[in-house]
Amino acid sequence: MFKRFVVVLLTFFCLTGSALAKDLVFAVDATYPPMEMVDAQKNIVGFGPELVAAIGKAAGFNAVTKNTAWDGIFAGLAAGKYDAICSSVSITDERKATMDFTDPYFDVKQGVIVAKGVTVNSLADLAGKTVASQIGTTGYFVCKKIEGAKAKSYDEIGLAVEDLYNGRCDAVIADDAVASNYALQHEQYSKKLTLAYLITPEKPEYLGIAVKKGDDKTRELINAGLKKIKENGEYDAIYKKWFSTK
Amino acid sequence: MTQKIPKKEVKIDISDGAAIPVRKDLGLFNAWWMTFFGAIGIIIYLCAVKPDPYWRILKFLPDGILVTFQVTILSILLSLVLGLITGLGRLSRNRLINLIASTYVEVIRGIPLLVQLFYIYYALGRIELFKDLPPLAAAVVAMGICYGAYMGEVFRAGIDSIDKGQTEAARSLGFNRAQTMTLVILPQAWRTILPPVGNEFIALLKDSSLVSILAVSDLLRRGREFASESFLYFEAYTMVALVYLVVTLFLSKAVSKMEQRLNYYERD
Repeated sequence: MFKRFVVVLLTFFCLTGSALAKDLVFAVDATYPPMEMVDAQKNIVGFGPELVAAIGKAAGFNAVTKNTAWDGIFAGLAAGKYDAICSSVSITDERKATMDFTDPYFDVKQGVIVAKGVTVNSLADLAGKTVASQIGTTGYFVCKKIEGAKAKSYDEIGLAVEDLYNGRCDAVIADDAVASNYALQHEQYSKKLTLAYLITPEKPEYLGIAVKKGDDKTRELINAGLKKIKENGEYDAIYKKWFSTK
Repeated sequence: MTQKIPKKEVKIDISDGAAIPVRKDLGLFNAWWMTFFGAIGIIIYLCAVKPDPYWRILKFLPDGILVTFQVTILSILLSLVLGLITGLGRLSRNRLINLIASTYVEVIRGIPLLVQLFYIYYALGRIELFKDLPPLAAAVVAMGICYGAYMGEVFRAGIDSIDKGQTEAARSLGFNRAQTMTLVILPQAWRTILPPVGNEFIALLKDSSLVSILAVSDLLRRGREFASESFLYFEAYTMVALVYLVVTLFLSKAVSKMEQRLNYYERD
C-alpha cells in the first residue's frame, strides 16, 4: 500500500516536473458523459478533456482540467478562477455577450429522451408533459420554449435521466451525444428509455471553448491548437474514439 | 429510566433559527428593526433605481416563495406529529418503544439533511413504494422525517420539564396514564414546547432551500434558474438573500410575539 502511494507520488512529481510549458486551466463539469465525466480512477475523461489535452500539446501549453459544478461555471470564468471552460458549452448569442468563444469544436443537436413506446415526432407532442433538463443548458432553454409543457431544471443531467427512469418526468432534453449515451448505450437506462427525437435547430448549434471576455491571447492560442489537430487528423482520431458508434 | 431534570421551568434554547427578538433584549430588538426595514428598504431601492434586473428578478420569484412556504408548512406539520410520537416514545417505559424512538433520533441526527434528501428522493426513488412520490411530497417527507427527530427532543424536554408532582397529583386523583399525559402534562408542556417549535419552524424554512437539489422549484431554485440564463449572479442571489431575510425576520417577530403571549407566568 505504502509502496503504491510512493509510486503515485513519484509519477505525480514527474508529471508536474515535466510540465515546463504554461498551464492553462479548463473548467469542466464532469457529469456529462461521454463529453466529460469522471472515471473509476477519479480522473476527468471524455471527449472534451481529451480534446483540450491534444490542443494543449499542439499549441504548446499544458491543459489542466478542473472539475466545476455547472451552476456557476460561467460566474467562475468571469471571476478569473480558470482560464477557459471546455464543458460542452453551446455558443449562443446570450452567452457571447458575457464571454468569448473559440472556434466551434463540435456540432450538436438537442435530443429528446422518453420512455420506450412513447413516440415524439415534433416538439408539439410534448405539450402538457413535464420536460426536464439541466439548469442553464441549451436543452433547458428548449424545454422552456415548448408550448404547454412544464419545464423542470436539475443540477445535473444524470439526475434528470434518473427521474425520467423512475417516471417522475416525461422527457429529458440534452445534447444528442449525451442523450444517446444515456438512452441507447447505458446498460440500465437503455432497457426502459430511448432517444425518440432529434430537434432540428433553427440555426446550427456548436460547442465552443469559452474564455473570459476580451481574453484574445488565450482564445487565439486555443484556436491555433484546435486548427492544428483538425489538420493533422488527431481530432478525427479522438472523435472516432468517443463516438465510434455513430 | 429517563433522567429527570431537577429545574422546575426549563427553557429550551435552540439557536438554529433566527435570533428571536425579546423585549428585554433591547439591542437585539433594535437589530431586528434595522435589518428588517433595512432589507425591505434595499429591495424597494434596488427595484426603483435599477428596475431592469431587480424588478424582473423579483417578479420571477413569487411562485418559488409559495413553494418554499408549502414545503415548510407541510414539513413542520409532519415533523410535529413525528416529534410528538418520538418524544412520548423516548419517555415511554416500554423498552422496545423507547429503543425504536431513540434509534430514530440517533440515526436522523447523524445524517446531514442534504444527504437525507438525496437518499429519500434518489436512492429510495428506485423502490416501487416511493416511485410515485412527486418531488414536493418527497421533499416534505424528507424534511419532516429529519425535523421530526429534532422535534422529538423538544417534546421530550418539554414534557420532562413538568414537575413530577403534577403526574403524582393526577394519578392520585384517579387519572390513568394516558389521561394524565393528555389532560394534565401536555397542556402544560405545550407552553415550554411552543417557542422552540417556532424556532425550528424558522430553521426549517431556511433549510428548505436544500430541496432545490430535488428540482423542486423553490425560492432558491427560481433564483438559480434566473441567474443561469441571464448570468446576473450577483443581482439574482442578492435578491434571493434579501427575500429570505425578510421572510425569516418577519417570522421570528411572529414567534417572539407568540412567546410573549404564552409567557403569562413571567409577564413583567
